[in-house]
Amino acid sequence: MEEKMSIMIVDDEEIVRESFLHWFEKTGHRVDAASSGFEALEKLEKFPFELLFVDIKMPGMNGIELLGKVKEEYPDTFVVIITAYGSIETAVEAMKLGATDYLLKPFKPEQLSLVMEKVAYQRKLVSEYEYVKGRLEEITRFDNIIGQSPPMQDIFELIPEVAQSDSSVLLMGETGTGKELIAKAIHAKSRRAHLPFIAINCGAIPDTLLESELFGHQKGAFTGATHPRKGFLEVVSGGTLFLDEIGEISPKMQIDLLRVLEEKKIIRIGDREPINVDFRLISATRRDLEKEAAEGGFREDFFYRINVIIIQIPPLSKRKEDIPLLVKHFLEKYSHETTKRVDHVTSEATQLLKDYDWPGNVRELENAIERAVVLSKSRTLGKEDFGFLRTIPSPISKPRSLREMEKHYIQEILENCDWNVTKASKILDINRVTLHKMIKRLNLKRP
Amino acid sequence: MGEVPEITPKALAAHLLGYLNLEVDILPPLKDPVYALNQKRLQYDAGVILKAMESEPFQDYAKIIGVLDLDIFVPILTHVFGEARQGGSYALVSVYRLKRNSDGSTPPLSLILERGAKVAMHELGHLFDLHHCVDRKCLMHFSGGLEDLDEAPLYFCRYCSVFLRDAL
Repeated sequence: MEEKMSIMIVDDEEIVRESFLHWFEKTGHRVDAASSGFEALEKLEKFPFELLFVDIKMPGMNGIELLGKVKEEYPDTFVVIITAYGSIETAVEAMKLGATDYLLKPFKPEQLSLVMEKVAYQRKLVSEYEYVKGRLEEITRFDNIIGQSPPMQDIFELIPEVAQSDSSVLLMGETGTGKELIAKAIHAKSRRAHLPFIAINCGAIPDTLLESELFGHQKGAFTGATHPRKGFLEVVSGGTLFLDEIGEISPKMQIDLLRVLEEKKIIRIGDREPINVDFRLISATRRDLEKEAAEGGFREDFFYRINVIIIQIPPLSKRKEDIPLLVKHFLEKYSHETTKRVDHVTSEATQLLKDYDWPGNVRELENAIERAVVLSKSRTLGKEDFGFLRTIPSPISKPRSLREMEKHYIQEILENCDWNVTKASKILDINRVTLHKMIKRLNLKRP
Repeated sequence: MGEVPEITPKALAAHLLGYLNLEVDILPPLKDPVYALNQKRLQYDAGVILKAMESEPFQDYAKIIGVLDLDIFVPILTHVFGEARQGGSYALVSVYRLKRNSDGSTPPLSLILERGAKVAMHELGHLFDLHHCVDRKCLMHFSGGLEDLDEAPLYFCRYCSVFLRDAL
């Protein structure tokens, strides 16, 4: 069965719009019309039309201008130019700007049919390309680490260098900054890429279980050990072991792991025979382990063993210039996953996202975009689609100095009292003269 | 409508009865739709004719097909063989362009009538809300030119047949 398309006719002549509408009603495609370029752009903002038939000669915004705008804003939209006044120059210009085809009114029925076949074919190619691209992205998932900010660029440069060595790597960063993605990227670029990558969240597994998970056990080693089992340190054989939240492991486990890192040998629980192991360790933490090691809360020798190379991943609040790029990436991801075509964010909404502090980092941003895409009724996400972000009180997320807070608060009270110093001093419970002094000291001015 | 050989509506009616098992009456001819003549194009606007037919409802009939021997068009296209509103009650079939092959030769009468019957059944499909079909071996597949029309069969694909049966 042919997939139905959403088509918009843009022509200032009602008779032409009607004629097209009647024609496409018979094809089963969803069809709508606009009488001007401006109306067409408004409609495009609300609904993802896939194909536009655009008349060249229209008052206000002509077809070529509209074509340029559409191709700039919605490059995937097919545009067929129609005109009653054919000239080679306009046809060439339209094709250069990305028009799919060019029809001279009135056209033969078979010409319209051919154009539709051409569009359907190109649409099929695009969708196949998107599918293959998606598959490739899945395979090379590490390329999902997005960022053009200087700290992220530094990390991108570091990854291939770090990947070449076998030294232990410690990734430090707040929760949700993408530590596991970077660990996977290092693994994928290393000589161990074709071998397993095993990720364990140490914070999520009780210590006793973690020991058995990592080292494995022999039959009868403890109650319930009815079969011998290989641990992850054995299973990973030759690959990369990623220990997330390494700061959460017990001092005893720190000693055990330290020995493994030094001797490259393990002994299964309940066994005596050492087994040779070969793996590359990448650890991650959101805690300041250096400080904890200095204070004795974390084993210093183990800390120095796991942090041969440290990669500090900046929180999202420190690389806000990456937000538009990340938003675009997540929009594409969730538009594809939810099959809802939401591919734009208004400039106000982008500003809101940039102003927000993202305590949950990239993960929180991803969740916010997913939620907005799922609930959106339009193809463009506006400020109102991110209303839920405002529930986080800003003073906590935006720490200020005491002086700044003081200045801000006094200014607010003064404005509420219309700069009546006597009134304001009563609210602030300070002497009027003191308030005058503070106004001078803090350089407060009536707007 | 206008001057059409008597055999044309008869042949079309016979096809509708034979292939679709529909009861068909042939009504007295209407006058030439001169009101729909476009002086610039010297062709008849199919939309205008359909609108005029809609304003004079034919009681006792579920669907009406007007048969003419005039060059009809819709504003965006150079010509059409037939026209109907999707899910509507009125359709047109013109034999004007069916009487001459693309190479200029004259086809036998039987072929002209067969072409007319195909257009009539296709347009009737639209009246029963059938859309264009992707299957080239289906009468609801869009035929842009006479070659396509000659290749089209006189029957619907199994999907369109089911939709048509449901509509009937």
